[in-house]
Amino acid sequence: MSDEHEHPHPAPTPGPAAPAPETPEDAGSQALAEALQSSFAIVKFVMVALVVVFLASGLFQVKPQEQAVILRFGKPVGTGEKALLGPGLHWSFPYPIDEVVRIPITEIQSVTSTIGWYYMTPEEMVAYKATGAVPAASATLNPAIDGYVISADRNIVHVSATIKYKVNDPIRYVFDFVSASNLVQNAVNNAVLYTAAHLGVDDILYSDITGFRDAVEQRVARLADDERLGISVQIGTGYVDTKPPRQLRAIFDQVTDARQNRIKALDDAHTYEFQTTNSADAQAAAIVYEAISAKSNYVASVQADANAFTNLLVNYQKNPGLFKQRELVRAMGQALTNANFKAYLPTSANGEPVELRLMLNREPPGPKTGD
Amino acid sequence: MKRNLITVITAAVLVVIFALLLFTFQVRQSEVAVVTTFGKITGPTREPGLHLRWPWPIQEVYHFDQRIQNFEDNFSENFTADNITLLVSVYVGWKISDAPEFLNSFKDGSIAAAQNQLQGMLTSAKSAVVGSNTLSAFVNADPAQLKFDQIQNDIEQKVRDELQTNNYGIQIEFLGIKKLGLPDSVTEAVFTRMKSERNILISQAQNEGQAEATKIKANADRQASITLSDAHAQAIRIEGEGEAEAAKTLPTFQENPELSVFLLRIKALQQSLNQKSVVMFDQHTPPFDLFEGLPTNTPSH
Repeated sequence: MSDEHEHPHPAPTPGPAAPAPETPEDAGSQALAEALQSSFAIVKFVMVALVVVFLASGLFQVKPQEQAVILRFGKPVGTGEKALLGPGLHWSFPYPIDEVVRIPITEIQSVTSTIGWYYMTPEEMVAYKATGAVPAASATLNPAIDGYVISADRNIVHVSATIKYKVNDPIRYVFDFVSASNLVQNAVNNAVLYTAAHLGVDDILYSDITGFRDAVEQRVARLADDERLGISVQIGTGYVDTKPPRQLRAIFDQVTDARQNRIKALDDAHTYEFQTTNSADAQAAAIVYEAISAKSNYVASVQADANAFTNLLVNYQKNPGLFKQRELVRAMGQALTNANFKAYLPTSANGEPVELRLMLNREPPGPKTGD
Repeated sequence: MKRNLITVITAAVLVVIFALLLFTFQVRQSEVAVVTTFGKITGPTREPGLHLRWPWPIQEVYHFDQRIQNFEDNFSENFTADNITLLVSVYVGWKISDAPEFLNSFKDGSIAAAQNQLQGMLTSAKSAVVGSNTLSAFVNADPAQLKFDQIQNDIEQKVRDELQTNNYGIQIEFLGIKKLGLPDSVTEAVFTRMKSERNILISQAQNEGQAEATKIKANADRQASITLSDAHAQAIRIEGEGEAEAAKTLPTFQENPELSVFLLRIKALQQSLNQKSVVMFDQHTPPFDLFEGLPTNTPSH
């Protein structure tokens, strides 16, 4: 009953699905067309998206410490300085039309010589850099793996030099060399050999390490100039490490000790020299001053005597005999007052000599102790 | 109609791209290219940029790096003029100067093959140049005798001459010595010599130190005694000056020599009897001559 109620108009007009059975071929092609149409839309979208991505992929950024050159079909866009793109956002045609070559420039690069040091495993290298620990050595150096330089006095020395440089002609540096950094390294190797070749072993090891560094840098700068590597060496910023062969370390240390001792002995001697001459100078000054004051005292006293004499002469001339007597008596009185032992020994009345026995002590006897 | 247009454009673009890939090639900056047609070099050497070609197998394109190559040759054993074995390794900056010639000389224009060829030339050049120099030309404290750069130039010149006669399409830009070495066994002998040199230095430092210290001390002592004797001499001179000055008063005393002698004697007397003296006198000594004539306690007989 309910069914009938639901179909109040038994098909007076055809429903939407009604024509399907009438034209089955049309329905199939229509579905296919629809499917094609929608997938064509997707393809279109993808194509547009691809084109956008393709074009957007040409965007690139140049960082502050680099420059870039665009190669269009392999040829730089622009010439010379104009070809260089500074830091910022840039656009180029995507590959294969354009290619972007980045060139590091403001960054300071450093390179270390490879030929002057004995062979170390990477672990040994880390240990050496951290603590200076030196791996055990065999009796000889194998030229195939161990590096060293020969000094002017034909000693074997280990040298490692690091120099710092900046690329100042980036186009030359990148486009004219397969590996410019390797050439810089070989220039350092050559400079280490060359510098060691005209210095004695003691200069290399002890007395002139800064001079060695400077000479290496000068030589690298000169070679870089000659070879036109397009770099500028940062003079004065590199460093070198020089060591005697491990096999002879102990005896080299002994030489250093002996030299230290020698310096100490000389220092001591100089201290002695300083003290001795100073005290002699002081003594000499004292002697001279003493003489000067003695002189002036003497002169003054003689002068005083002379003055006194002039005064006394007047009195003397009045009565020489009396004057003499008075002076003599006065002097004797003074002398006898000062004397601590006085004896009066008159000659006997009859004129016979008086016998007197004396016991003379150098020093007056001290006060008696005991009884 | 619209659909067809899109299809046609797409197809055209694809065809163009395909054709470009087949009929063009790029030469990158710092490269040149040589084109062979049926194996024979045709046309000029192609510079950087886009170029046309016939597709393989009609034409083939060979690219050649124009940049300077860094070649480090092997250590080779050489004998110096003074018969010392010296191992030498050099580095060379070289480049392809004539691409067609290079392609003719080395199969497929192989860089490795070219460097092999260079290695041979370098080995013989090193041997010849090292053989005509003594070791003191390699290492010397005297810049006039150190011929380091000269040796490098000689080796370079030898290789250049060789490249001049046999054109391989290679050119040398520069050459330098990279490493020097001695045979394993020789290093031991060098160590022995270095050790004895060190021993000499040790005893030298010790002896010289002592000798110099002694010298400095002795010199100081001498200096001190000179200073002192100078001072004494000066003191004596000053004393003399004093005497001279004092002598100026002499005329005063000469007015009455008798009195002056008398006064001197008095003074001497006073000074000698200044202290701790024992004085014995009889009745003739003034002022005790006052006692003369007085009765004394002479022992009575």
